[in-house]
Amino acid sequence: QTATPASPRPDEQDLPITMRAEEFDGRPDRILNMVRNVEITRGATGVTADTACYRRVDDEVTAEGHITMWRFGDRYKGDALQLNLETGKGWVLHPEYRLALNNAQGKAQRINFLGEDQAVVVDGTYSTCEGPDPDWYLKSSTLRLDQGRDVGTAGKTIIYFKDVPIIGLPAMSFSLSGARRSGWLPPTLGAGSKGSAELMVPYYFNIAPNRDLTVFPRYIFARGLQLGATGRYLGETDRGPYHGETHVEYLANDRLAHRNRWWVDTLHNQFLAPNWTYGWNAHAASDNEYPSDFSRTVAASAERQLLRELRTDYYGKYWNLTARVQSYQVLQDPGAVANPDLTVATPYNRLPTINFHAGRYDVLGGFDWAVDAEATRFTHPDDKQVQGDRANMVAQVSYPWVHPGWFVTPKLMLHATQYNLTHNAVGADDKISRVLPTFSLDSGLVFERKSSLFGPDGTQTLEPRLFYVRTPYKDQADIPNFDTGIAGFNYAQLFTENRFVGADKVSDANQLTAAIVSRFIESNGAERLRLAVGSRYYFADPRVRLNANEQSNQKRSDALVAASGRISESWTFDSGVQYDAQARSLYSSNVGMQWQPAPMKVLNVEYRFQRDTFGLANGFRNADVSGQWPLSQRWYGVSRVSYSVRDRKLLESLVGLEYKADCWVFRMGAQRFVTAAQTVSTTSFFQLELNGLSRLGFGNALDTFNKSIPGYTRLNTNVGRP
Amino acid sequence: FQLRGSNGSYTMPFHSIYLGFPDTSALGTELKRNLRASDQVVIADKATDAEAQFVLLGESRNKSILSLNSLGRVREYLLTYTMSFTVRDAKGAELVPPTQISLRRNMAFDETQVLAKESEEALLYRDMQADLVQQIIRRLASIKPAT
Repeated sequence: QTATPASPRPDEQDLPITMRAEEFDGRPDRILNMVRNVEITRGATGVTADTACYRRVDDEVTAEGHITMWRFGDRYKGDALQLNLETGKGWVLHPEYRLALNNAQGKAQRINFLGEDQAVVVDGTYSTCEGPDPDWYLKSSTLRLDQGRDVGTAGKTIIYFKDVPIIGLPAMSFSLSGARRSGWLPPTLGAGSKGSAELMVPYYFNIAPNRDLTVFPRYIFARGLQLGATGRYLGETDRGPYHGETHVEYLANDRLAHRNRWWVDTLHNQFLAPNWTYGWNAHAASDNEYPSDFSRTVAASAERQLLRELRTDYYGKYWNLTARVQSYQVLQDPGAVANPDLTVATPYNRLPTINFHAGRYDVLGGFDWAVDAEATRFTHPDDKQVQGDRANMVAQVSYPWVHPGWFVTPKLMLHATQYNLTHNAVGADDKISRVLPTFSLDSGLVFERKSSLFGPDGTQTLEPRLFYVRTPYKDQADIPNFDTGIAGFNYAQLFTENRFVGADKVSDANQLTAAIVSRFIESNGAERLRLAVGSRYYFADPRVRLNANEQSNQKRSDALVAASGRISESWTFDSGVQYDAQARSLYSSNVGMQWQPAPMKVLNVEYRFQRDTFGLANGFRNADVSGQWPLSQRWYGVSRVSYSVRDRKLLESLVGLEYKADCWVFRMGAQRFVTAAQTVSTTSFFQLELNGLSRLGFGNALDTFNKSIPGYTRLNTNVGRP
Repeated sequence: FQLRGSNGSYTMPFHSIYLGFPDTSALGTELKRNLRASDQVVIADKATDAEAQFVLLGESRNKSILSLNSLGRVREYLLTYTMSFTVRDAKGAELVPPTQISLRRNMAFDETQVLAKESEEALLYRDMQADLVQQIIRRLASIKPAT
């Protein structure tokens, strides 16, 4: 099916009319009667019939018996016809019709032509399926097909699927060409979280090309009617671009919980001036149980700390300034009442935090310098927690010698921090200041050689790198942890000076990191494969602890091995191993493979392990298998299983089936995932998408497949992509 | 193996380039700086003055959940940084066809350290940005000059 909007039709009023028949009578300047094998054509319009009559004054044709009429590719067959060749108005009785625009076809009692682009199908059917016996069709009292405006508008309509009426609507409209326009999206019937049946019929408002709104009325049989809406916009003012998206859900007077339930996500970014932006990012929910009671996606239930942030950024040529206010709503795990170990931590609010960064490269004969200053007021809803103001400044100067084959960068840093605390422990110091210098030396070599592993003229590099850091020790046990943690162990972190992220702790260091990276590069510069090995050696045991119960660190550090790349067009893999040399055990490891031999054929296998790091239940050992695969010519299966090997527990499972016919797609699926300590959500859904009626085909079913299965391809991708 | 640059292979096949990044783009600034380091290349202020034109087609960051623990809470995020670009010569002919580079990093997560993880996320995006710049430079260096 092609979906091109109607193009302007050429004016054919002045073209000559050709008439053919076996018998003519009448007066050529007034009325012409034609009998047997009549054919009347003008330009792209024409009629054949058994008998016909042409009235010159009105420029009008009437015809009877075995009528065929065509106009700009659209075809009509019927018993009788009247057509005004000048205005395009007329009618045809008992027609069958087919539109060139979208191959739509149907039958009717009568079609009234209102002009060249418009027709009203009276008591007729409409379908985009091929053949005389379509899989689905509409039956409407009136159906107005306006090809000029690319819209079909139906009055009282019943949709038949396999000759069974599936839905009746008082009125409906749809795009004839499949362009993005307002209309109903495929309804989804299913069972939501906690087994309650629900029906969702989304409606899409195409407000403008850069603005749309989707409304999701969802009737949850056990709870009541939930209204959801997602609005998206982007645009440009004379000061610069802006964009945003807001999603709200509201259920008045939940019949199970006896209260109003709601959820909001909103995001906005806008330029106030060419160098000045502001934006917000906020999420909120009515209550702690919302993610368990209503979650339809894994993402919505896994994140229980909801950020609310308002920020503004100003960019100068060599500096920038950011001011933010930030707080969190914590949706406590319902299981935490009985088991405090399950408590979701409440982060500090930053009301406000101001960051200033300035820096220049290549000044005074090759020096780089940068200053990062930050002032933050940390508050906490719990009065027993220490709170207060922190001012922090990090100044750094470095002198990089950079050549294509090697580099050496010595760097000096100075950390200066000042605290002014409240709600502190009795006898503790409320005013703390800390000044610490850091010296680091980064250096590396880059070797290259020809490699034909991935095609001719490829290159293999070998990049050894050494990174030394020295920071003196200072007792920081009195300093609270507002926003600081131990950095995750990864390649980027190996080459940072501080083993903590956040400004509350500066680790003492006398350590050397050694690493080698090797890359395979195609002749066009594309990186195909990367292998990395790195290790950090501590000459002295770091003494600064994040908290008192953090384990003593190690003389020899963790080692890291990572490999990732694209082995061939269809195989991709990603893997990494982090080995803790001190404890002689794996810190974390992951191996993942993706095989995508063709569109709609993908298999993913992944294994991920992480040792307990911060406390109880923090590590994991998960195996993930997912894929999309054709089961037969028309059936496609999708599946995902995420299994915690450690807890012998299924974290997430999804099974879906899709059937692809020529003019419709049917999807069904079931998903089950953990939403909190003692709750799982099991949802299922059924969705029928009729090509050409609800063409955007977006909705939960597709969303779920898309998010859960890396590499998933939509079956009817050619439909409805504006 | 031999030291890079010792056979002169890491020079850019053009003398001037225009970078189509907004002024506020950190990626653009970093790329500019790295291109300047190879001293034959001039960064042009206007597209019409340059032998090569770098056109940014799209830049996006995305954060998705990678691992959950048995309580259904996030233990690992996947951060992705995707950029697509094309390079044209002064006459508008393609030197590099539209190309997408996508980088990913895994980040371990824990609710008790949500603020620290925000800083770590920024660190990983900076690391990906530096990586991306190196990959772009290798693509630029591999351009075959039109004959």
